[in-house]
Amino acid sequence: MRRDFLKLCGFAGLGFAVPFVHPKTASAAPKDEPYAGPYYVVFNASGGWDTTYLMDPKGVNEINRLYKEGDILTKGAHKYAPTAKTAKGGMSNEDFYAKYGSELFAFNGLDYSVNNHSPGARYMATGKLDSLAYPTFAALVAACRGPDCPLAFLTFGNYSNTGNLVAMSRVPYLPSLQKIANADAVEGNLRAPYHDPFALDRIEQALKESQDARNRTPRLPREERGESMLYAAQVNSKALARVTQYIPKSVPKERMAQQAEIALASFKAGVCVSANLTIGQFDSHANNDADQMKLIPEFLAGIDYFLRRAEELKIREQLVVVVQSEMGRTPMYNSGNGKDHWSIGSILFLGPKIRGNRVLGATDDKQFAVPFDPKSLALDKDKGIRVRPEHVHEALREYAGIAEHAMAKKFPLGVAEKERLTNFWG
Amino acid sequence: MPARTILFLTLWMAGTGLIPAQDKPYAGAACARPVDDFFKDDVWGKVGSQKCLTCHQKGGDAEESQFILKDIAKLTGEAKETAHRQNRNAFATMAERKHKDQSRLLLKVVGELDHGGDAVLKADSEAYKILAKFVGRVNAPAPAPAIDPKAPPFFEGVSMAEPRKLLRRATLSLAGRLPTEAELKTVERDGASALPAILDAVMTEDAFYDRLREGFNDIFLTLGIDGNADASVLSYEHFEKTRLWYQKYDLSHIKDENARRQAGYKLANDYRKALLGEPMKLIEHIVRNDRPFTEIVTADYIMVSPYSARGYGVFDQLKDQFKNPDDPFEYLPVKLKALKGRSKENHQDSATGDYPHAGLLAQFQYLARYPTTETNRNRLRARMYYQHFLGIDVLELAARVSDAAAAQAKFKVPTMEAAECVVCHRTLDPVAGLFQDYWRFDSNFALYGKRKGGWFTDMFAAGFEGEELPKPERWRALQWLGERTAKDPRFAVAMVEHAWYLLSGRKALLPPKDLDDPLFAAKYRAYREQRKTIEAIAGKFSQSHFNFKLVLKEWIASDFYRVDGLATELKDPKRRAELDDLGIVRLLAPEQLERKVGAVFGAKWNRLDGEMAKLYGGIDSQEVTERAADPSGAMGAIQRILSNDVACRNVAKDFARPAKERMLFAGVEPGDLPDVDEKKIRAAIVHLHERILGRHDQPDSAEVDRTFKLFAGIVADAKEQKGLDKRESYYCRPERDTPGANEKAADPHYTIRAWRAVVTYLLRRPEFLYE
Repeated sequence: MRRDFLKLCGFAGLGFAVPFVHPKTASAAPKDEPYAGPYYVVFNASGGWDTTYLMDPKGVNEINRLYKEGDILTKGAHKYAPTAKTAKGGMSNEDFYAKYGSELFAFNGLDYSVNNHSPGARYMATGKLDSLAYPTFAALVAACRGPDCPLAFLTFGNYSNTGNLVAMSRVPYLPSLQKIANADAVEGNLRAPYHDPFALDRIEQALKESQDARNRTPRLPREERGESMLYAAQVNSKALARVTQYIPKSVPKERMAQQAEIALASFKAGVCVSANLTIGQFDSHANNDADQMKLIPEFLAGIDYFLRRAEELKIREQLVVVVQSEMGRTPMYNSGNGKDHWSIGSILFLGPKIRGNRVLGATDDKQFAVPFDPKSLALDKDKGIRVRPEHVHEALREYAGIAEHAMAKKFPLGVAEKERLTNFWG
Repeated sequence: MPARTILFLTLWMAGTGLIPAQDKPYAGAACARPVDDFFKDDVWGKVGSQKCLTCHQKGGDAEESQFILKDIAKLTGEAKETAHRQNRNAFATMAERKHKDQSRLLLKVVGELDHGGDAVLKADSEAYKILAKFVGRVNAPAPAPAIDPKAPPFFEGVSMAEPRKLLRRATLSLAGRLPTEAELKTVERDGASALPAILDAVMTEDAFYDRLREGFNDIFLTLGIDGNADASVLSYEHFEKTRLWYQKYDLSHIKDENARRQAGYKLANDYRKALLGEPMKLIEHIVRNDRPFTEIVTADYIMVSPYSARGYGVFDQLKDQFKNPDDPFEYLPVKLKALKGRSKENHQDSATGDYPHAGLLAQFQYLARYPTTETNRNRLRARMYYQHFLGIDVLELAARVSDAAAAQAKFKVPTMEAAECVVCHRTLDPVAGLFQDYWRFDSNFALYGKRKGGWFTDMFAAGFEGEELPKPERWRALQWLGERTAKDPRFAVAMVEHAWYLLSGRKALLPPKDLDDPLFAAKYRAYREQRKTIEAIAGKFSQSHFNFKLVLKEWIASDFYRVDGLATELKDPKRRAELDDLGIVRLLAPEQLERKVGAVFGAKWNRLDGEMAKLYGGIDSQEVTERAADPSGAMGAIQRILSNDVACRNVAKDFARPAKERMLFAGVEPGDLPDVDEKKIRAAIVHLHERILGRHDQPDSAEVDRTFKLFAGIVADAKEQKGLDKRESYYCRPERDTPGANEKAADPHYTIRAWRAVVTYLLRRPEFLYE
């Protein structure tokens, strides 16, 4: 019976949210087994990070007070700012690059195009600036790849619009998953079921018949979407029972580690496709260096924790990691010790079939973006383009194999063929 | 543009046949002639408002040009029509001007003739074609209708809730209860016309005000103040001696130390809760007493309880006015005196000696929820002001510029010099300046306080929409702002939109942006239809002296709220897009779901709180501020738990009551079996469908058949099982630990458990979990 439900919910979770998708198309590959990856995780440095203290070091023109140009360090193709002596806790750039530099792909000189938090966060999350309807990449890939996963798209903050394609899941506290994992038993105790099995089967059958009947009835689009998502949510929720075995006995104290454990347990259990992890307070108007030297190391330590635990859970090879922020910081300090918003920044990637030890794009000595040739992937001051979030998102969609998916097409990014980043992932 | 020119243009257009064919001849004054739909829908709706307005308006990059437009987005009535006329005239003027036989308008938009905004349209774009059509009409009038004359009425094929169903929807939504028998009889007798009077009565109930406060907190989020309210709301600087009154409160009459400590905790918690509750209590007070809703920005008082009054130091003057001075949550309006600081420099300026209250605007809770910073300079407050009170999110649809970094670097003060920045900051910064005397970053220390050296000079001066704040008004700048807000036509529209959010859980539609979207016209029509209703209600709201109850009643009576389904299948994608947002279909929030359980079963579930509420898509008003619109798998699991558990708690318990006192099973007994008592069982199912789902099914309907089949199937299955207990499950027995519990749990035919399965099934249905 469960397989039948999943056949239905295979389209229930998405089909009716996208009117032009024929249900049969969307339900062609119902899954009755855990989602096995790839798992997509987006790390957000919310508030606007100072990229010159991480992957795009300068040390000139009074851009940085903590180091000079000559102090800049390298790891393979990467140049990075030294922070081992200035970091307050967390993980230094030195350690981070030593550990992950060979896998990291950095793009510098990304033009966020705006320098306000809200539109910047939306633009970086979705690749679309002038719409409130577009889904984030994490939501889109979850909807395309695992609509029948009960926690397909997990979010811990930042801009998280779903485009009505998939439900957004917030799990504030890991043990709370334990409480709901076995919903048909009193207090989750499997020896105390609410209903005898034959009665429960009858209930599920009646719900299925009711849903089938509704599917045959003319309904408003909102009704179709609401009813099908509800049905899918209830049926698919049974898979949450798989999560409990991966819930660690103790909850870590660090805020990113807490998010990581929830996401990793969900990935490992095969109930989640993507997760949006975030920490805030990067908005260092008042005291840039002190703030960034506390937060960047904390952020990197969180990423490190995530990757380390993924290794232990044996899902590391299936992880696709995007590390981003909604804006950068100005190339000069303000009248205090802070730095204000800057519309140029960077983004990091790591994952299978993403060639590491690479840096593309650049900013100049004044932290302006250098135009970039999307085909040769070289800097081209004369004929290059300004690489903006839609270019990166178009490339991400192609990388994830969802660019031609009906749901992705419903939210076109409008990147002309001549501007598409070619062989971007190496 | 001089009025004489407008008059001339309008007369000229009328004389040359520019009046669209579908319009009736206009017999009034020429300059007051209605603007045609083609201009409103296409030229303005699709091009002018999207591509031109940003720069070509007062304060915009192109404000020095001769092509100045007005934003009509939040205007209503005559103000809107006038703005439309002005915009049409501006477009018409540009359309008829030529450069080498070509329309200057069409040349400018593709970046020629030194257009300051470069190319804003491509020559093959849909938007350009619209302008070309407009130019053609202006110069050679042959107007085509803007709206497809064959288009069906917007609500054609959409079914509306019949009065009983509408009543249930409204009472559950507004007061978290089912309709009473008397109310049902009234609507059965009088139809929908009976609803306003019933709703008037509903809106006197305390439960309505619980929902009202909850709904408005979803918008203003004032419960999300950081830190303990006794410190965040009441500052050390101005309330040093009173804000921590609870620490010295005499609890010595409680002899037990532990009990005394617990009482102390409760005292502090209740006090903090009372403080946090004040802003929403202000809204309650205004609505409950039919005061003009504009008081949310003009009220010259705040609401205080006996506990919070102690914090302000005004308890002694009020204590005789409270019905119960020991009730932490009884609220009264009060005017505070101007603040006295610990030092003279922090005394508040006041020409009257009073605190310059201005509704929510000057409430400490609102100021603390949206604090300023050294670099933010009150701009967050200004942004929230526009969003909350005028319905404009200045950051929602930020314009993209070709190189924001270059623009930022080029100017010393980009917010005053760079056109890309000026366009918003000229509006935002003056309002930020009105909050200038609330310039303290550590709300624990002070909210009120002036900036040393005076307000920033590298910002546009304090004021509102082009009007500068007169210096003598500075001490009451927020009152000055509130007075203007109350008169601003956008206020009424914004409040009507808030009411829609409260009722539907979603924001009013925004106009579509993508002209090349093949469904643009359909989406635009959906937006316009909803906008017409919003504007109509806003008009009535203004005329009613801003009675907010009227807004709720108008929405409930509107087609948008009454929509209940579809009569025929939607095949045309365009029609589908038109109706995409139609219907309430709202996933109930945790609080609403609890209330609904309480309404149907007589007692709430009481488990959808804390973490479970967050997991079920709830908000904390701080980090999580938007409710989940769609159920995740985690929420699906909670729905299963709820359905199992609520059925478990209530089915056997209901059967244990005398038949007349039962809520669920008044007409059926556990001994009634499907093969013998089918009629009674079907009648019981009809009752359950009505009570739990709000459905009015016939006993022989397919829906009732399905539920009957479920019940009968389980009873039959049970007969086949060996070793089944003859009693209801231990966990679901009523009063299971009391004498006689075993007898009450008797279930020899498995019917009680089958009914429990039926109730579980119904509780998992969308009709129960959605509104």
